[in-house]
Amino acid sequence: MTRRELLALIGAAPVALKAAPDAPTAPVSIAKCASYNDDVTATLGAMFDQIGGLERIVKGKTVTIKLNLTGSPGLRFKGRPLGVTHYTHPKLVGATAYLMGRAGAKRIRFVESGWALSGPLEEYMLDSGWNVRSLVSAAPGVEFENTNNLGKGKRYARLKVPGTPYMYPAFDLNHAFEDTDVFVSMAKLKNHETCGVTLSLKNCFGNTPASIYGDNAGVDEPNEKPTSGRGTVCHAGERQPSRSAPPELHFGANHDPGYRVPHIVADLVAARPVDLAIIDGIESIAGGEGPWIRSKPLRLVQPGVLIAGTNPVTTDAVATAVMGYNPRADRGTAPFQTCDNTLLLAERHGIGTTDLHRIEVVGVPIAQALYRYES
Amino acid sequence: MLFALLLTLSLPTDWVPARWHWLETKTLELVSGTPVNCLLIDWDPQQRAQAAAFADAAAGKGIATLAVIHPGGDPAEPARDAIRAKLTGVVLEGDFPQDATDRVRAAVAPAPLIELTLRSRMPLGSKAPVIGTWQGVWPGIPLMEDGAAKAGPSGSPWINTNAGFLRAARAFGDSVVWIANSPQPKTVITAENYAQVIGDAAMVGARWVVALDDDLARRLHDGDKAALQVWSRIIRQLQFYEGHRDWRGFRTYAKLAVIQGVNDGALLSGGILDMIGARHTPVRAVPPDRLQPEALAGASMAVNVDAAALTAQQREVLKAFTRSGGTLLTGPADWKESAVPGKDQITLDDKQTKRLDDIWHDINSMIGRGNLGVRLFNVSSMLSNLLTSPDGKQVLVHLVNYSSYPVDSVTVHVLGDYRQAWLYTPEAPEKKLDVYKVDEGTGVDIDLVNVSATLRLE
Repeated sequence: MTRRELLALIGAAPVALKAAPDAPTAPVSIAKCASYNDDVTATLGAMFDQIGGLERIVKGKTVTIKLNLTGSPGLRFKGRPLGVTHYTHPKLVGATAYLMGRAGAKRIRFVESGWALSGPLEEYMLDSGWNVRSLVSAAPGVEFENTNNLGKGKRYARLKVPGTPYMYPAFDLNHAFEDTDVFVSMAKLKNHETCGVTLSLKNCFGNTPASIYGDNAGVDEPNEKPTSGRGTVCHAGERQPSRSAPPELHFGANHDPGYRVPHIVADLVAARPVDLAIIDGIESIAGGEGPWIRSKPLRLVQPGVLIAGTNPVTTDAVATAVMGYNPRADRGTAPFQTCDNTLLLAERHGIGTTDLHRIEVVGVPIAQALYRYES
Repeated sequence: MLFALLLTLSLPTDWVPARWHWLETKTLELVSGTPVNCLLIDWDPQQRAQAAAFADAAAGKGIATLAVIHPGGDPAEPARDAIRAKLTGVVLEGDFPQDATDRVRAAVAPAPLIELTLRSRMPLGSKAPVIGTWQGVWPGIPLMEDGAAKAGPSGSPWINTNAGFLRAARAFGDSVVWIANSPQPKTVITAENYAQVIGDAAMVGARWVVALDDDLARRLHDGDKAALQVWSRIIRQLQFYEGHRDWRGFRTYAKLAVIQGVNDGALLSGGILDMIGARHTPVRAVPPDRLQPEALAGASMAVNVDAAALTAQQREVLKAFTRSGGTLLTGPADWKESAVPGKDQITLDDKQTKRLDDIWHDINSMIGRGNLGVRLFNVSSMLSNLLTSPDGKQVLVHLVNYSSYPVDSVTVHVLGDYRQAWLYTPEAPEKKLDVYKVDEGTGVDIDLVNVSATLRLE
């Protein structure tokens, strides 16, 4: 793909959904980083400076960082460490913690709803081959929360979807999503079987606790020992979440995961705004979000990029372009062949613009960072 | 003469066995200076003279030779013939009637007779120095057609293993257990696969009877360089386990006991013991016949698979266990009827697997996140065994990795306070590791495990 072809691609207008013309924008930083053995901390620090500095975002504040640790740690792609395939890499996580600590963050709370996890997130990380002790020592005030259930909280936080929600009027989430000043989505640069791409927006699908939105969620009350994913409630709409939580608005109207999941994600990000998006594209996989995907062949990729921004839609739009796709492509066009475009849905919620002409890219230009995911 | 010969050789309990494809004395060079000290030769009366010369040369190097006799005709006569040819002993491999086995034993005495029989017919709890079977699964992670690993109950890959069966078999008595399964014909067996099958048995104190696939044997005989490298890897793996004889004096350490008899599936692969093993939870197997108070000493949880199988005295032992604070889980009332394995069976059938789910859910809930000796992290492609020294001051954690890839960043949380830790691997000298305190006791991090590693703490 030439630079000219790329520009033509990203200039294409969406067909069905109208973009919100006044959707906010924010700069997005792209940096080259060939390996996790490179100086990830220095690279990331420079990127934060390019988007306005980390201190103004985190100083004296509680920061909650949603990681992407999707799928059981036992499922590996070609036996490779999880961080070089479908998990955010622990070195990037450590570098982020260090920089946030240096920028004066009061508390840095890593969160994730690990697959079938009801115990501590730290143990899930250990099972993923992470050195949790090193992570704890990367900055003062590092802590962990499993958001698949109540975790260390005593009650669920109800986060309302502002404006006109697509699917849910509000979500009941782990307290960590409410008890925070800053919310960070740290994603992986990957395709997604259901949503085309999984970046900082789609990463937030994991905000939903399986105790309420999981296949074996309690009918009336949350099941604090969830053992499954969210297929029946979220993907297929075959059942409602636990009655203790707000129900789906138009239950039974649509069972297509390619419709449902992008709309739910857009609602989630509206309910719990993302203050900082960080996307790990140093090493990853293409073709799907994890080794359990069978619909397309997976392959290891080394885009060698990091992407960061303070707006998740602008950041994901740039990341989608870096993957060689049109971030405003409509359903039917790669990578959204069988799904709605989460980015456009979030844009329509007024979260951010997908229009690359309105997004300032700092650091490495998209054309130089381009790494085509479609084989 | 035979006594003199036996005196020059190791005891059967110390034999490190290998099936041998050849009767050429030059092939003994392959085992010279290695742990392999017992060669199993398929007995062929037409090659009696070569076998006698081979046995003589082997004995001169301190290597025992065993004539392997298979069913078909009266086994006593070829057994006698093999002993007359100065082979060290006889192996009956197959399902022989008991009277035929007794006749062979009488015919070859005082030479040793080793039975490699059906799992279900092993003389468990007997005084035989060595008991064994040819029935085994080939250890490893089974793959689907597209090459992806089959996932187990926890989303982790399932591991085919003989470890649960061998734990159970060893729990019946003091005999050394041999597992003599051979590679499937027409399958590619890598050096890692050989290391895994050796580790799978050795980790739980048993011995795999080394059996080379036909292709490797042919290439090894021809002096093929790659084949010699595989053989070196096999030898290095054997040296790793046989080189630490003191470890054989260590005993199983686990806070969880599973009381399970042969009729309850104790000898089936893929059963309760393997499922607990796949969960990386230390477990001790307790046959009902051995259910004495000391069998549960130090345990905090027990699973009684078939309550109806116990005598009144054994039930009293369990009552005392619960009265002293132990948690007891009892299997479903109709477990036994539906779970009795067939004579030739070595893995669970579909019905038994389904029944296992009934009890597995409860076992899983009972264990929870508890530390029943050790907790291991990032070990989804591994199995392990926890042992303690006779004085209780040391523990060993054997790890075997069944994937084709090394595993890095393994974390070990051992119950209890230990001050020092060492890592042993076949590839490198022992290495001292840092220990640190964790809520449950002592934490240790291991950088990398290829196939086998053993952690020792004191």
